[in-house]
Amino acid sequence: MRRAPLVITGTACGLVAVIGYHTAAPQASALTSSSASGGTGTLSFGATTAATTARAKTSAGANKTATSATKTARSAVGSDVQYQYGDLELKVTMAGGRITDISVVKDSVTDQYSQQIDAYALPELRSQALTAQSAKLDGVSGASYTSAAYEQSLQSALDKLKA
Amino acid sequence: MRPGEVIFRHAEPVMGTVVSIDVRPRGLPMVQTRSAVAQACELLHRADDVFSLFQPNTPLSRLCRGEIELSDCPPEVAQVTALCEQAKRASGGWFDPWALPGGFDPTGLVKGWAAREAARVLEDAGIGAGMVNAAGDIASFGTPGQREAWRVGIRSPQSPELLACVIDLHGAVATSGLYERGAHIWDVVAQAPAGAVDSATVCGPDLALADALATGLVAAGEAGLDAVTAAGYEAMLLREGGKSVTTRGFPLPAAV
Repeated sequence: MRRAPLVITGTACGLVAVIGYHTAAPQASALTSSSASGGTGTLSFGATTAATTARAKTSAGANKTATSATKTARSAVGSDVQYQYGDLELKVTMAGGRITDISVVKDSVTDQYSQQIDAYALPELRSQALTAQSAKLDGVSGASYTSAAYEQSLQSALDKLKA
Repeated sequence: MRPGEVIFRHAEPVMGTVVSIDVRPRGLPMVQTRSAVAQACELLHRADDVFSLFQPNTPLSRLCRGEIELSDCPPEVAQVTALCEQAKRASGGWFDPWALPGGFDPTGLVKGWAAREAARVLEDAGIGAGMVNAAGDIASFGTPGQREAWRVGIRSPQSPELLACVIDLHGAVATSGLYERGAHIWDVVAQAPAGAVDSATVCGPDLALADALATGLVAAGEAGLDAVTAAGYEAMLLREGGKSVTTRGFPLPAAV
């Protein structure tokens, strides 16, 4: 919420990612506090990843680690973590077609997941995609929009970017 | 991006929407690049002229009214019909353009097919890498700049301002959902309006098939995922409230 986004609407933030899981039995978590602090828009994406990674290891008692990790950004990013848990709401700020900031708006932890599907992976915006240098999107996939709706779309904003 | 890589973007109003094209000529002269993009746009307009069911006199409209036979239609109608049969099998029956209330309607596949064909025109012209985004259904070839994949946001069903995630894309991605145009997807199994999920995104090699599989998944929900993975495609389902399910190989960005 620190600057008006170039794209889309007059709202303060360009994008919000709302990510969740087909899960049950929400569990209280030490990360609740990180949710609250995230709501202020102060967390970087790296911190988000760190928090989520740590949360994935909740059974190993990493909750407190996670809470601190949210303030230190990227230091606890794991590789190839299979996410299984919870709802995570991220606020993403864009400027000039690039993602410039991401913060956690809400998260909750659940630890049970459906057995039908091969795997659950948290569709996350990893730090690779979100550093200010590389966060530019090439396109957006979504349900078909009409010509009128196109004008409001993020794809429309990307199309207007000059090389 | 590659140092000095030329990016040429174009947005073409067609098929009741806008198709976005992003190409990286990689040494192809700009005159030829523009010409290839113009050819790709011509192809899209021709697809509209043949397949639109909103216009009464297109070959598909006349075929559906029984005024002409398939053999009277331009060859791409037979090609799309064959793709529909293939997609029906691949979807486990969840995509079935013959089981719709108004009769045969391949719309759930045509836009993806058209974008795929447009991307082929660009590639065949010698363009190094490119992406054709037909209102949310994307066909790509090559990769941009020095990156190893296209970076594509998947729109949240909740708002055009929201992304559910970002993926590393090779090939094609299609998303179907109810949020842009209301309950327009028909559940061919239940014979009722579809609504198992708010949106379904399918990635894989062929955008025509991905488009059809995504359409089927909006009705099928998780019940349709096995067929999708068996066909060599990957999927993500999004539900109201932000719930999501992804198949194992869904192309989320690689860990750092």
